[in-house]
Amino acid sequence: MTVSSVRPKSEDLWMTQLKKFLLPAAFLFPAGFFLAAFIAVPMIQAILLGFQRWNGIEPATWVGLRNYENLLQDKVFWQSMGNVVYYTVATTVFQTTIPLLIANILNSGLRGSTAFRFLYFLPVIISLTITGLLWRMIYEPNFGVLNEILRSLGLRDWTQLWLADRNLVIPCIIAVSIWQSLGFFMMIFFAAMQGIPQDLYESASIDGANVWHRFRFITIPMLRSTMTVVIVLNTIGGIRAFDQIWVMTTGGPNHASETLGTYLYRTAFGALGSSNPHLGYATAIAIVILVFSLIFSIIQIRVGQVNEVEL
Amino acid sequence: MIATDQYRVIQRIRELVTYAFLILLSIVMAFPLLWMVMTSVKEQREVFTSFLPRQLDFSNYERVWHAMDLPNHLGNSLYVAGINVAIVLVTATLAGYAFARFEFPGRDWIFYVFLAAMMIPGQAILIPMFQYLKSLDLLNTHVGLALSMTGGAISFATFLMRAFFRTLPFELGDAGKIDGCSEWGVFWYVYLPLARPGIATVLIFQFMGVWNEFMFSTTFLISPKLKTIQPALYQVIGRYSVDYTALSAGLLLAILPILVVFLLLQKQFIKGLTAGAFKG
Repeated sequence: MTVSSVRPKSEDLWMTQLKKFLLPAAFLFPAGFFLAAFIAVPMIQAILLGFQRWNGIEPATWVGLRNYENLLQDKVFWQSMGNVVYYTVATTVFQTTIPLLIANILNSGLRGSTAFRFLYFLPVIISLTITGLLWRMIYEPNFGVLNEILRSLGLRDWTQLWLADRNLVIPCIIAVSIWQSLGFFMMIFFAAMQGIPQDLYESASIDGANVWHRFRFITIPMLRSTMTVVIVLNTIGGIRAFDQIWVMTTGGPNHASETLGTYLYRTAFGALGSSNPHLGYATAIAIVILVFSLIFSIIQIRVGQVNEVEL
Repeated sequence: MIATDQYRVIQRIRELVTYAFLILLSIVMAFPLLWMVMTSVKEQREVFTSFLPRQLDFSNYERVWHAMDLPNHLGNSLYVAGINVAIVLVTATLAGYAFARFEFPGRDWIFYVFLAAMMIPGQAILIPMFQYLKSLDLLNTHVGLALSMTGGAISFATFLMRAFFRTLPFELGDAGKIDGCSEWGVFWYVYLPLARPGIATVLIFQFMGVWNEFMFSTTFLISPKLKTIQPALYQVIGRYSVDYTALSAGLLLAILPILVVFLLLQKQFIKGLTAGAFKG
């Protein structure tokens, strides 16, 4: 058998090469089109807009780094930044530890575990807007059920202004966030725990390990990458927090619960009808959110790749 | 024998404490939802007197259904979600398949670009998107809103579909080709039917995302009539600020569609929602 008899003609070779490009290109084109039109274009515009002054009506003027310089001297911006750090750290700590512990309890072969999981998961399916409005009713100082319960228990002194109290407003919002997301992170931990080989626990038991030992020395190390994913998801969620806070307090009272998201929104679209919007300045805030969440997204993807390799 | 008895007692106590804790937590978790259900079937003046309603009064639902214009807003949400989910599913299935099955130069780099799109928060593109839709004459339209939510969603859905296609054996496609299938035939007749669970996951994830979305919806739809359900509810809260019976009924009616889907497809639903945590 000669080699030349199996070698394809050069035309065919060219065709197969072309096919190699065309076929994937055809499959990727629709997605690529939407990605370019509805992510890439607005993203580039956002970066440019961050260097401009614009009220949305008159032509924009190029101001270089002025928006970012102004941000550094903006008290409300720094207050929002502080609130975001407070909210993000607290939600990340609570929304990692509490779901982990509860998943561990539910994974111990308890009867009725499915029912508890179902119940705890229910708030997850409800939108942040609806839970925000619901909790707004609950926290309302005069008519809200929370103060109502405290009064009926004879704890009148414990009643609070809740969302209207500048010191309590963020803890109140954090409580809602924990309530809403508990089921979600619990499910993630629970699913990961199901993947831990049972004989690890059995051999540990034979060696005399108690419940705590098994949790500390088997469950936690086996869940390390899952924990990182949960921590990163929580961090990104905290940096981007908007919906629920906007619905409950619109950043108030007096910026006490202002986050980067709510401040951006207020600056761009305003307490409607107020002074002219500062679209360039608001976009600069958006870029700050982008940069911080990018950092953690990259960590997330790194961890995700580690996961894939481990599988 | 004493030792085992003691052990059994300790086991029993531990179990009781665990159950007590879980039940207490259940009460805390369920209370806001139960309170909402109870309030929605009360008479207005009953709201503050007792937790349980004296008698079930469904008139609030009737009252709110038309006063809040719910059929219209629910319909708007369904329409926007329909357009968006269709676009995302078709494009992401094709792209995910290409990344999983084809070898072509620059594949990994193109895939990284898709990944990068996933990391962009909605806030970053909110303002340019507003102007952009305006220039396309799509501001304040349902199509515009549906399109504005495609970008990031497609990249994430592509990511999931790629991961899903990669779990299917390669040999199937080769067998298909030997039987005379074209590349398109292999995709359409061999892999697509097998990808149904993956498609279901993406479908539920995306539908739920659009249904519950607030920031884009409240910004890009301006006419009250056009609003989707989430911003519509936010809009009426001023009008019903102390009418908790009406508000509760309205919120419950807005939750109902998602709740029904959740009850019917619990497994896929949980998988769909938690898929984001397991990249790959």
